[in-house]
Order: sequence, then structure tokens, then C-alpha cells
Amino acid sequence: MVRSLGIISTANIENNFGVLCKHRPVYMLPYGGRYRLIDFSLSNMVNHGIRTVAVYTGEKIRSTMDHLGDGKPWDLNRRINGLYIVPPITQDYTISRYGDIPHFFSTLEFIEQVKEKVILINEPNIIAKVDLDDAMEHFLETDADITLFYKRIHDPLGNYINCEKISISEDGDMINIGLNLGTEIDFNMYLRMGYIKKEVFVKLVKESIEKGDADYIQEAIIKNRHKYKINTYEYDGHVENIRNLKTYYDANMNLLKRSISNAVFQENGVVLTKTKDEPSTIYTDSAQVQNSLIANGCIIEGKVENSIIFRGVRVGKNAIVRNSVVMQKSEILENASVVNSILDKQVIITEGVRIAGTRSIPFVVEKNQIIGRD
Amino acid sequence: MKKGKIVAMLLAGGQGTRLKELTKNIAKPAVPFGGKYRIIDFALSNAANSGIEDIGVLTQYKPFILNSHIGIGTAWDYDRNVGGLRILQPFMSEKGGRWYRGTANAIYENMNFIDELDPEYVLVLSGDHIYKMNYNDLLDAHKQKNADVTIAVLTVPLEETNRFGIINVDDDNRIVEFEEKPKKAKSNLASMGIYMFNWPILREYLIKDNEDKTSDNDFGKNVLPLMLRENKKMYTWEFKGYWKDVGTVKSYWEANMDLLNPDNTLNLYDRDWRIYTRTRNLPPQYIHKSSKVINSMINEGCYIEGTVEKSVLFGDVIVEKGAVVKNSVILSNSVIKKDAKVYNAVVMEDVTVESGKEIGLDDGFKIYMVTNDKVVAE
Repeated sequence: MVRSLGIISTANIENNFGVLCKHRPVYMLPYGGRYRLIDFSLSNMVNHGIRTVAVYTGEKIRSTMDHLGDGKPWDLNRRINGLYIVPPITQDYTISRYGDIPHFFSTLEFIEQVKEKVILINEPNIIAKVDLDDAMEHFLETDADITLFYKRIHDPLGNYINCEKISISEDGDMINIGLNLGTEIDFNMYLRMGYIKKEVFVKLVKESIEKGDADYIQEAIIKNRHKYKINTYEYDGHVENIRNLKTYYDANMNLLKRSISNAVFQENGVVLTKTKDEPSTIYTDSAQVQNSLIANGCIIEGKVENSIIFRGVRVGKNAIVRNSVVMQKSEILENASVVNSILDKQVIITEGVRIAGTRSIPFVVEKNQIIGRD
Repeated sequence: MKKGKIVAMLLAGGQGTRLKELTKNIAKPAVPFGGKYRIIDFALSNAANSGIEDIGVLTQYKPFILNSHIGIGTAWDYDRNVGGLRILQPFMSEKGGRWYRGTANAIYENMNFIDELDPEYVLVLSGDHIYKMNYNDLLDAHKQKNADVTIAVLTVPLEETNRFGIINVDDDNRIVEFEEKPKKAKSNLASMGIYMFNWPILREYLIKDNEDKTSDNDFGKNVLPLMLRENKKMYTWEFKGYWKDVGTVKSYWEANMDLLNPDNTLNLYDRDWRIYTRTRNLPPQYIHKSSKVINSMINEGCYIEGTVEKSVLFGDVIVEKGAVVKNSVILSNSVIKKDAKVYNAVVMEDVTVESGKEIGLDDGFKIYMVTNDKVVAE
């Protein structure tokens, strides 16, 4: 088996998430009751035997450092290789540049040094539990320089407008990548994930720096598409393309469907995350819970419907939580109600207070806020 | 001697034969409890939370699950460069090898281990009990009395004294007499099997006890009474709080049910005194819209479509549509199929209760132990 080096870089879309990304990068968004988006990428990689992963963190690095630590939850705390956290260097050349290429360039020595000859690039805001072994086989068999992963999307309602669309030739080669404007009901969505030969990766980074014509590796790939053999690999499993508040909310709500939660949580092995040593969740006499995903350490005394409840949340007596995402250690006190909302971590909704958004524009409460009456 | 240093010795070899199926393949300390723990997690977490840096875990009886559960102690932050946790199995030496004969013998056999660490105090713990205790409180009392040994005790109902080692004390809490499971007790202070010793004294008496060929090498029966006869300074320290020794299937069931009482004093939700355990990384639990879940404790990975009332469910349990689980404890990975009913039961790991089957009575008093092959009433 050919092992690859996993590279996680971050999509530059923080502004789409409002206060949720005020202090965290997109890949650190809490998801599914007890995870962060990055957990799905990391777990899928290690579950497929990847032993070296480099995370290009972006600037809001505190939550990343706290969550990843030395990589122990993913067994990436190895003596040799394992997890490399690469914070941005803000000096010399990189300071005036956007994009990931300057960061890759500043760590080329490391990339060239590791034994792996193939790189898996991916961005964790797209959850796709691709069978990486099967994709690797395809990559090697077709002797491609780059294999990009895509999923065929049937989109009559235009939910996927502004996602990346990949055009593919009859024999499976990439023609180009553009933006989906919804002109076709069926299109191939690029998953911002793929294998690339290390030598090609290094060359692309160096050339882009030299010519100054690309800031992102994706951009460099497209610009140099005629120079290399770039083909595609179709993934037909479940995808969540989390690119703004609405898709974030929907991706959480989707987990209430058994088939989707199975695909997201079970496919290709368990999803690993930093554990919190919370006890089991307790439901009291007055609890009324329906169609909800609930993590450990909660005390539920009120009503919870169609919601995702993270670890250590308290829902008081006669309180109502409906169609909402409630993150870690938030508290909804007695008689309060939370509908169509996203509560970030450690929010307190005090007694009797009602907050509500709509399903298309959920109401978002920033971390550590106490919402009381006026 | 390193001043102030404590080494904890955790006795985890208990068989717990009266727990029947629960201890068929594992030692009593490894028995699952409270939705996600094993009994030994309480003693280990207490030690970790009390800041004890060196702990020896003495295993003996069917140790495989216990050993893999504890590993190198990572879950309790005992994977350290200096100190930490060591599993102490019975071993061979030039004088031959043998099983630990009694509680005192287990410590005697590991005297080298303790000598190496050279502590001032040795804290003897049992891995069989469910409780939360700050061992520093015991140490403070021990130091205050300038004692040779201090025994943690708790007040038990007078009618239950015949189940415990009873200790009689004077006004200053100095021990004057031991009574082993007395019918008519003079006091109701029961030993918790938690002893704080000055190591040099304990060492001396372990050697003495070992030379006595008639001794059972047991702390409660032999070593402590011997120390008392020779006028050592022995005191008690009274523990107030939840404590349970789950000896039987019924008391095991009760202890789990205790957790559902909102006033229970064990309080697993206290973030300042966490109980740690090895976790399985399961996804959150899902509660379906056709379900009813009240007064229950449910762990990660569960999928509930039926009714769950006054029950404790461990990880990855499935309760299908129309199924009812009431007053029961369901261990990991079990499946309660469609329309099955389970009342007053302890369902073992990986058990499937078939569709439509009924176990126990809604208003019965018996507790049912359920495995894949049989259902036994207690």
C-alpha cells in the first residue's frame, strides 16, 4: 500500500459564518453533537492508514491548538511523523500574500523530507468520507499526476449554486473547474480533495512562487492543467458542503436522518475526537425528547425536538428547544424557549426568555453570551 | 524516605462471584457501571483527582479486560515520565511464584516496588467500590493524629453490621476493637477497606504477618488486629457521602438505579471531581420521534425508538419501535427488538432480546439477569 501525506488547509470562507467564526477557523466549527469539522477529515485519513498529517491552521489558531494538541485522539502522536501543526508565519514573503501557496512554500523542506511520495489535499468544510484506498488504487492505476475527487449532484432546487463545478472529459480527465450557476440540474461537484504526486506538488508551489501567478494550490492546478495528467475520481457517498451559515445549520439537521447519520458517523470507521469525560446524559421525569441527537453529559428536564444537542448542555424544566443546534455547555433555563437557532458554546438563555429565527435564517447567539430580558 | 510522598496500592483482584454473569469473564473491578464506567474507574479517578502520583494496580483474577481498560493509565493522566500507574501482576521469583494469597500478601509481594519509590505513606485501596473521596482528607486526619494507620469508615445501619468489618473506637476516634461481621455489634462504624499507613510500620507488620504460617495474610483479619494488639496508633476517619459495595446482582442493579435519583449524592455531573474512563468514541445518542425517554441515563451511540423509563443504558444500545425498557440496566451493544418488553432486568453485553419477548414483570420485585442463552431471576 502506498501511504500518502495528508495536508489539511483551510477554505477562506470564514466571513460566511458570522460570529460562529469570530474566534475559530471554519474547520473548527462544532458539528454533530460532539465533533469539529476537522475530525471527519482527520479520522477518515487515519482510518485509511495515513500516518503523517500536516494542518495549515490559518490565523485563528487557539481553538485548533487546544483541540488537536499532539494528535493523540487520532493516534497521530507518533515518534516519527504523526501530526504537524503549521501556523502561519507572518514575515518576509508570506506577509503580503493570501492563499495557501506561501505557507506550503515556507514548509517545502518538511514536505520534501517526509517519506510519503503522494499527497492527499483536502479542506474539512466539505465532509466526504471517501474510500481513500479505492481512490489511491485509481490514482496509481491511471498513473495520474493529480486525481481530483468529485460527486455527481442532482440539484433541481438550486441548493448547490456557487459550489465548484468540475468539467470532466469522456475519459475521465479534468477539463476545468468553475462555479456552478445552476444552469444544469445535474453537475459534478468538486470536493476540494484529491491525490497529487509530491514532486508535482512541490513543482507547482515553486513555480507559482516564482511566477507569482497563483495564491492557492487549487488555482495552480487549474493554471497548469495542460502540463500534467489530471484525472478524476467519483465519490458516490454522502457529502456535506458546509460553506455558509445555512448549509452549516442544514448539515447539522441532516444528521437527524438515520441514513445520513450512519454515513457520516459510521462509514469507514469511527470518527475520532478529543474526549471530554462527560457522564451519560440524564433525562428526568419531565423530559420530552423527540427526533434529536444528544451528546453525553447533558441534563434534560424540558422539551427537545428536532435538535442537535452538544456535550454538557442543560435544558431546564418547561424549557423548549426546537429545530436548533445547541453547542457545548450551553444552558437553557426554565421556561425559556429556543427555536430555529444556533447557540454557540457556553451560552445561557435565562428563565422565560424566548429566542427564535427561521429555518432559512437561524438565529445565532455568540459564544459565552447570557441572554436575559431587557 | 521521601517526605510526604504517597503510593497508592489498588487491590483489583476481586472475583465477585455473587455477581454471577457479570463476573463470568472479568474481575469485579472491571464490571461496567453507570452507563459508561467500570467500577475501578471510581478509585482510579479519586486517586487522580486527589493528586496521587504513584499508583500500583494489583490484578490477578481474569485480568485481560481490566488490563486493556487501564492500559498505561492514560485516561486518568497516569501515563507519566516520573511516577504514574503500574499494573502489578503476581510474578515468579527465585523462590518460586504464586498467586497473591490475601490482601496483605498482595502488598507484601510488591514490597520491592514500594521500597523503590520510598514513600512516607502507603494508601491501600480497593477497586470494588463506588464512591468519590478526596484521599487528602484521610491523609490530613492521619497526620493530625500522628497515627500509624488511619482507616476510612462509614456509618452503616445497625441491622447491616453483620455484612461489614466493624470498628469500635474511643472518644478520640482511636481504634479499640475490630469485629468481623458481628451479629450484635457495639458500634456501626464499618471499615471501607481504605487504609492510610505509615510505610515503615506497614512494612514491619507485613514481614511479621508473612512469617506467621497460620495467617490468612488479610488486612482486616490478620494484619490490622495484630497491629492493634501491639498497641500501634490506629485511628478512624469517617467518610460521609455515597459509597456502595455491589456484592450481588440486586445491589448492582440498585446502585445503577441510585444514579437516576435526582438527589443521589454520587453526582457524576460534578465537573470538579470527574470520573474518568476509557472512552469508545461513539457518536451521540439518537432519540426518535416515536420514543418516550424519561428518568433515564443514556450513553453515546444509543438509538432509541421505543420507551425507556427509569433505566440506565450503556453505549450502542438499540431500543426498537414499540419496545419497552423499564427499571433496567442494559449493558453495551445490546439490542431490544421491536415490541419486546424488559422490566427489572440487567441485560448483559451484546445480548439481543428478540422481538415480542417479555422479560420480568412491570410490578415485580425480582431482578432478572439476561444473557443470550438464559434469563435468571434473582
